[in-house]
Amino acid sequence: MTETETDTEAETTTIDGDEYVAVAGTDEIPDGRGIAVDVGGIEVAVFNADGEFYAIGNRCAHQRAPLCQAGSEKINADHTWTKTRGRVDAEECTVSCPWHLWKFDLETGLNEASGKRVASFDAAERDGTVYVHI
Amino acid sequence: MESSIQRLDPDAEVPEEAYDVDVVDLDFHVNPRQEDLKAYVEDDRALDRLSTEFGMWPIPDKWDAAYAIDEGNEGLFTQGRAEVAEDVYEACERFAIDEPIVNAAINGLPHQHHPVLKNAVLHAGNSYMLDHFVDEGVPTALSIPKWDVDAALAELDRWGDEDGVVAVYSWFDPREPWGVEEFDPVFEKLESLGLPLLLHGSLAFWPQHSYIGDEMLTWTEVLGFDWPIHTMVNAVNMIMRGVFDKYPDLNVVFQEGGHWWIPFLRYRMDEFYEMHPEDVQITPRKFESGEHYLQRSPSEALRDNIYVCTQPMALPRNSTEASSMLELSMASDTFCYSSDWPHQTLDPPTWFFTNRAFTQDQELRDDVLSNNAREILRL
Repeated sequence: MTETETDTEAETTTIDGDEYVAVAGTDEIPDGRGIAVDVGGIEVAVFNADGEFYAIGNRCAHQRAPLCQAGSEKINADHTWTKTRGRVDAEECTVSCPWHLWKFDLETGLNEASGKRVASFDAAERDGTVYVHI
Repeated sequence: MESSIQRLDPDAEVPEEAYDVDVVDLDFHVNPRQEDLKAYVEDDRALDRLSTEFGMWPIPDKWDAAYAIDEGNEGLFTQGRAEVAEDVYEACERFAIDEPIVNAAINGLPHQHHPVLKNAVLHAGNSYMLDHFVDEGVPTALSIPKWDVDAALAELDRWGDEDGVVAVYSWFDPREPWGVEEFDPVFEKLESLGLPLLLHGSLAFWPQHSYIGDEMLTWTEVLGFDWPIHTMVNAVNMIMRGVFDKYPDLNVVFQEGGHWWIPFLRYRMDEFYEMHPEDVQITPRKFESGEHYLQRSPSEALRDNIYVCTQPMALPRNSTEASSMLELSMASDTFCYSSDWPHQTLDPPTWFFTNRAFTQDQELRDDVLSNNAREILRL
């Protein structure tokens, strides 16, 4: 059981004693997609993986591709097999980069093959709002 | 809902500064669909055979790049597939590419067996590109067959002087290298047309029937190193066999053959040649002309006549190391930016705006991003 206290004016909420900042409404991040937000100068990508929300650094550890684009539609997608540039995999809890398919764990930010990682942040959903703790 | 945080532009994929700089992409792949290509196959007999239940490509590969990435063969279309000019413009806007040099990327052709069918598909691919890209004002590299010099010359006669054809596209493969004299009529024609020869890696490497090739089980070995090794072999073969003495205005661009090998060739070719120059006179072109030696040092020919596409850049993170490698590689004279869109090996022009080797040397940056390409393309 977590303890939640919401401060609507500052658009923050406190969860288990930590301050979380509101980043989007849940309906603004479709399932299998992500958005990018600047929180205090930090680029954060927030993903919806089958109703669970995750937050990691937005820039790929390889070549700084915007990870938030994972799951965006390819050009002439109907003539390709996977249809999307990279993707969010809810079952594996991973996101693959839209440029080179580097795969990152959504909870830890780790790319297992290289051992490199992007930052990971706690994310939570409360009453239709997605919050991130930096 | 209201939020104090800032939502970032989802379309901003490369640094903003990239949009302020001229970017020429020397290797942008278009992927016509087989059914669209068939409409351009002119000979009914060839079309009949290409339309059998076996399809266009009946030869199975022993090995496939698909094993190497999570999405298998979709690696060929990680960004999608461009079929008409508007698709190219959409992709280029995303990556700040100003001048894409498009090619039809039928890279499986050298690997195919039947010369008549191969020529029919190549011819159809060029016709498709003429209709959908050249005529639409997209600068295009049309293809010539390496396996059939007469057919290559016929293709050059067909479209070689078309406005909008800015380069000629062919392949390097494990078969005879491009220094062989049978290609001289092609080189002569290219010189007269003012068109550079782009040589792309070919899928002919992939089902290798050789002891070494058969033991290459990873994409890192095959694409990452076998292609560059054969690029080196072709570059040295062309230089030492006197191609660029006979055709000094011919420019050759190796695509996806790597680039950091240039310092190795630069110094080793000169060292070896200066120590062992007496066999040059009995190479066929020199034998015929009566010349004893090369007209320039091998490294000068490398600098003057050979260019390399940068994708994937594989730039050291340390900018001092990167600057040294770029200098040793004569990058300001030899490197040409390429994206390899839409493949999984895509290389957007990020390095030029994130590494101090380029941000502190904008002349070098502009040479690699556009000047070198514009110098040799018939734009």
